[in-house]
Amino acid sequence: MKVERVDAGQGLADPWGQAWSALPATTVALNPVDYEAQPNRYIRAAWKDRPYGQTVEARVAAASDGDRLYIRVEWPDDPRPNAEFQDAASAIFPMNGTGALATMGDPEKPLALWFWEDGRPSPLRLVSRGPGVFRKDDGSELSARGACNNGAWGVVFAGPEAVAGKGKVGVAIWNGSNEERGGLAAVSQDWLQLETAEE
Amino acid sequence: MTAPTSSRQLAWVFDLNKCIGCQTCSVACKVLWTREDGEKQQWWCSVNTMPGLGTPKDWESMGGGRDPQTGAPLPGHQPTREEFGGGFDYNYEEVFYGGTGGKAHLEPQGPRENRWAMNWDEDQGAGEWPNSYYFYMPRICNHCSEPTCMEACPTGALHKTDDGLVLRDEEVCMGDRFCMEACPYKKIYFNYERNVSQQCIGCFPRIEAGVAPVCVRQCPGRAVFIGFLDDAEGPVHKLVKEWNVALPLHPEAGTKPNVYYVPPLAPHRLRDDMSIDHDTPRIPKEYLESLFGPEVHDALATLKSEMETVRSGGSSEILKTLIAYRWHELLGPFTVDPATLTPEPTAHQET
Ligand code: SF4
Ligand code: SF4
Repeated sequence: MKVERVDAGQGLADPWGQAWSALPATTVALNPVDYEAQPNRYIRAAWKDRPYGQTVEARVAAASDGDRLYIRVEWPDDPRPNAEFQDAASAIFPMNGTGALATMGDPEKPLALWFWEDGRPSPLRLVSRGPGVFRKDDGSELSARGACNNGAWGVVFAGPEAVAGKGKVGVAIWNGSNEERGGLAAVSQDWLQLETAEE
Repeated sequence: MTAPTSSRQLAWVFDLNKCIGCQTCSVACKVLWTREDGEKQQWWCSVNTMPGLGTPKDWESMGGGRDPQTGAPLPGHQPTREEFGGGFDYNYEEVFYGGTGGKAHLEPQGPRENRWAMNWDEDQGAGEWPNSYYFYMPRICNHCSEPTCMEACPTGALHKTDDGLVLRDEEVCMGDRFCMEACPYKKIYFNYERNVSQQCIGCFPRIEAGVAPVCVRQCPGRAVFIGFLDDAEGPVHKLVKEWNVALPLHPEAGTKPNVYYVPPLAPHRLRDDMSIDHDTPRIPKEYLESLFGPEVHDALATLKSEMETVRSGGSSEILKTLIAYRWHELLGPFTVDPATLTPEPTAHQET
C-alpha cells in the first residue's frame, strides 16, 4: 500500500475531509481474532458460542507529510445501538520486524497498537502480546479522530513516522454493539506493506 | 488455574444481628474513596435490605463465579449503569433558589421508570404481617482467595497483595470489564469517565498505616471485625474457624470469599391466634441456606444455645466476642487512631 506524500496542512486529520477522497484506499479482509488464543478460560467460556469480529473488511489508506504518518481506516458501522461498549479501531505495527496479526502478537513478538475508541478523550499506544493482552505505553505523540458518516466509521490515526516506520501495518475493529473489547475484535489477515514514496 | 497466593489473608466479619442498616460504613467509604470523576454512582461498600434485589439490581442472578465440579470460571453478566442506578442529579436549584416555596421538592432528575439505586428496596423485605422479616447486609469486595475477577482479566491489572487484598492497577486496566462479569458478587463498578473498573481497595493505605478500614472503624453498631484469618488469638479467626458462627456469603460461587457474616436470628413466628410458634423460624431456613449454605443451621443453633447459656446465668465467650465490650477488639491489629497520623497532602484535600 502506497503511503501518499501530502503537503502539511492538507486537512488529513479529518477522516471525511477532501484530502482523503483524492487518495487511493486498499480493501483489507478481516477475520475474528483467534479464539483458541484468547488469553484465559473465562473469556473462552463466555464467548464460546458467541460470534465476534464479524466486520468482514475495512478500507485502509495511508499518507505522510514527511513528519507524521496518517492511517485512515473505514468500515461499516453496526447499526445496533452501543450500550456499555463503544466502537474502536487500531492501526497495528510490528515491533520486532513482524508478528502474528491473528493473535494480536505474542510474548516474543509483541505488536504496537494505535488505539482509538469512540468517546475516549485521546488515543492510546498499546503494546500487545496476545488477544487483549495489552499494556498501555506512552501515546502522547499520537492523535486520532473518528466520525461516523452515513453508516460508516472513518478514523484517522496520526503518529510520528519514525515510530511507525517498520514498513507494515494491520488494522483491528471492535464492534461495541456486540460488546467487543480486548481480544474480541476483527483483525486484518495479512500485513500491508507501507511503500513510502521516494523523496 | 493455580490459586494466587498471599502470605496472609485479611478477612472481615459482619454481624448481621448487630447491623442496624444505618449506612455509616457505606457513606464513610464513599466520602473517603469515591468522590472523583466518574465515581458518583459507586458504592464500594453497599448496605441492602435482604431479601431484596440488591445492588446492582438482581445481582444474585447475574452469574460469574466457578463451576462447583470443575472450578472453571462461569460466564456472567456485566451489570449496566441502569442496574447499579443511583448517581442522581437533584433539582437543588429549583428547590432552594427557584422561588417555588413549598411546591417543589427534592427528587432525582431523569426518567422515573425503572429508577434504581443502592438500597432502593430498603425495608421491603418479605413475609406477611405479623411475620414479615428483613435484615441488612453490608457488602464489600470479598477479596477472594480464588478470585474470578482476577482470572478473567486479560491485561493482568488485578493482583493479590501479600495481605490477601485483591487490588487493581488502574494504569494497566483497559476497562474491558471481564472482571465485572466474572465476579459472582458483582462488586465491581465501571468508571465511564476514566475507562477503568473500580472496586473496594480494602482501605489498603489505612491498613499500611495500622488503621482499620473505614467500614470497620466507623460502624456505630460495633458490627464489623477485621483481622488476619490465621491470627489464632483474633476474633475473626475464632468466629470463622473455631466457633463456625461466621459464614461466607454464597460459598457455592466458588471464589473463596474473605468476608464472613454472622447469620441473622429473627423474632419468633406468631400463629394466627398471636401465640408464639417456637418451632418455625420466621426467616425461612431455605432462604438462609441459599445465602450461606447448609452450615447456617449449625451457626444459628450455636448462637441460640449460647444465648440460652447466658440467660440461665452462664457465660459465653462467643457472645462476649460478638458484643465487643471493648471497641478495639473489632479492629484486629489495626488500632492506630487516624487522627494521630500526620496527613500527607492529597488530591482529595481541600484548602
Ligand atoms: S455502619 Fe455498621 S451498623 Fe451501620 S450499616 Fe454499616 S455495618 Fe451496619
Ligand atoms: S468479590 Fe468479586 S471483585 Fe472481589 S475478589 Fe471476589 S471475585 Fe473479585
